[in-house]
Amino acid sequence: MAAPNGTRGDAPDLLTAGMFIGLGALGLYMARGLDGGTLAQMGPGFLPRTVCILLILIGLAVGLPALTRPAQAIEAIRIRPLAVITISIVGFAFAATYLGFVLASLWLVIVGSLADPGGKWSHILLLAAGLTLFGALVFVYGLGVQVPLWPV
Amino acid sequence: MNFVDLLMLGFSEAITPANLAFCLLGALLGTLIGVLPGIGPTATIAVLLPITFFLPPLAGIIMLAGIYYGAQYGGSTTAVLVNLPGEASAVVTTLDGYQMARQGRAGAALAVAALGSFFAGTVATFAIAVAGPMLSGFALSFGPAEYVALMVFGLLAATILASGPVLKAIGMILIGLLLGMVGTDQATGAERLTFGAVELFDGVDFIVIAIGIFGFAEIITNLERSGSEGVQLAPLSRLWPTRDDFRRSWAAVLRGTGLGTLLGLLPGGGATLASFSAYSLEKKVSKHPEKFGTGVVEGVAAPEAANNAAAQSSFIPLLTLGIPSNNMMAMMLSAFMIHGITPGPTVLTNQPEIFWGLVASMWIGNLLLVVINLPMIGLWVKLLTVPYRLLYPAILLFCCIGVYSMNNRVFDVILAAGFGLLGYAFRKARCEPGPLLLGFVLGPLLESNLRRTLLITQGDPSIFVERPISLVMLLATVVLLALMILPSFRRTREEAFQEEEA
Repeated sequence: MAAPNGTRGDAPDLLTAGMFIGLGALGLYMARGLDGGTLAQMGPGFLPRTVCILLILIGLAVGLPALTRPAQAIEAIRIRPLAVITISIVGFAFAATYLGFVLASLWLVIVGSLADPGGKWSHILLLAAGLTLFGALVFVYGLGVQVPLWPV
Repeated sequence: MNFVDLLMLGFSEAITPANLAFCLLGALLGTLIGVLPGIGPTATIAVLLPITFFLPPLAGIIMLAGIYYGAQYGGSTTAVLVNLPGEASAVVTTLDGYQMARQGRAGAALAVAALGSFFAGTVATFAIAVAGPMLSGFALSFGPAEYVALMVFGLLAATILASGPVLKAIGMILIGLLLGMVGTDQATGAERLTFGAVELFDGVDFIVIAIGIFGFAEIITNLERSGSEGVQLAPLSRLWPTRDDFRRSWAAVLRGTGLGTLLGLLPGGGATLASFSAYSLEKKVSKHPEKFGTGVVEGVAAPEAANNAAAQSSFIPLLTLGIPSNNMMAMMLSAFMIHGITPGPTVLTNQPEIFWGLVASMWIGNLLLVVINLPMIGLWVKLLTVPYRLLYPAILLFCCIGVYSMNNRVFDVILAAGFGLLGYAFRKARCEPGPLLLGFVLGPLLESNLRRTLLITQGDPSIFVERPISLVMLLATVVLLALMILPSFRRTREEAFQEEEA
């Protein structure tokens, strides 16, 4: 390795390796109490453990060569869509149960729209009203999804 | 019943008003999402899966199938007119299609694409009708050992034929297998990998994973790259191709159809692989390969025929063996499962109306698509001007309702949001999430068959090499793995997918 350490490392591959090894280790930890059994009488822990070990090995096979490859950065992460979309979904889940479909849907569309900075308020509100009406008619009345329309 | 009777049975099922309506709806939706970049058939089907629960089994499956092959038609429209592939399988169509459009021959390109697709769809439908009963008769002789070998072969072959690094794809399959094990173990009743959460005792729902990884994560990544507006539309011209176009494209359509039908059968094969391969085949057999990329009609006809043929023939392994060959088929498998139907050889004998109804509906759907696409093309193109900021809230809402409606649980929606974050991380790590779904649906099947095999032989694994079918399958797997280690094969494989990256 001639080049200094700073210019080496394929970041997306290293991230992959990290996730593979991490998930494999998590799986092994959670399967620690499960009985492995024998080949003829496989226990619940046999296949999970095998898969986790394979996953860790694959993680190493992806990660180790990536350490010495020329540096490559991960695409920039933009926090706004990531955070806004996640918050809007989680909010919808609670709102649908406790506040009814109408409020949940309005919340989801209005908050979700904030993920894109270019929107106009008039458009967003119109879209929210239209989609909520559509959703209520098609899903709640039409398909019979079991969700209250209004707060109970 | 003979072949004609069965086909008649299929048509009588497919042309009931309700089934015809869902076929049309699927074809329309497929065209719509094919035209719109940023929404793929995988995400759409994930969103609509929970809704099919409310429909009769055949209607739901007809609609979902229509979305898949409809997207192949729609994807080519934007590829030709705005140089923007609506679907991955239409990427190669942009090469010559857009050049034709710039020379004022957009209409001819679109007509050749649609007619070629229709021809290919007809042939592939016929292939399903012929191959289905034959293969499923063969599959009835499969024991658990053969199924294990078939699944191992299918999973590994899927990683090699799909684009992207093989190791990452294998890792994604393993994660899928692991997710499939969450919940109560079928054989022993032990609770596995659940973090002690009661909600997970029944396992993770396919829909939660599919919507999280393909629905939510796709919205987030699409929003990161905003600024895709302002498309340059090529002018639409005379729609009917010239006699010269027909003369030059019929052979290309035939070759594309044949290649596409074959590649669709392979695990991991499907529309994208087929269109790339068909384009390079045309280039090889052409007398003047240097003209490709400058707007030659063969360069549109062959890949368009191939992607449509492959989209349809990839149903064959699912319908006859019960083994999905790519992530779209994994979705279709779970659509069957929602209704308690396990696709495979027994469906053909016990519920022939499902298999033949679907086959007949595919042909009808292809006919509808030609009508939907050619005269109405102007309408679809207008849709391109709808900005994503008005589209994604609707997709978001459908995703959320879909996940919520399964069990009316807050937990499912939050879990799906979590999978959205995971899917986002996978995209940042440049991991293609498709194989994960394949692993997830095949995991439980693989485990129960493996257990059964080894229980029968009392723990002796040599059965896998003693049974001839299983031996052939495992040898094929070994050969594929060996090929991957050979540098020359690796290079060819990378070249084959190179154009996709660009």
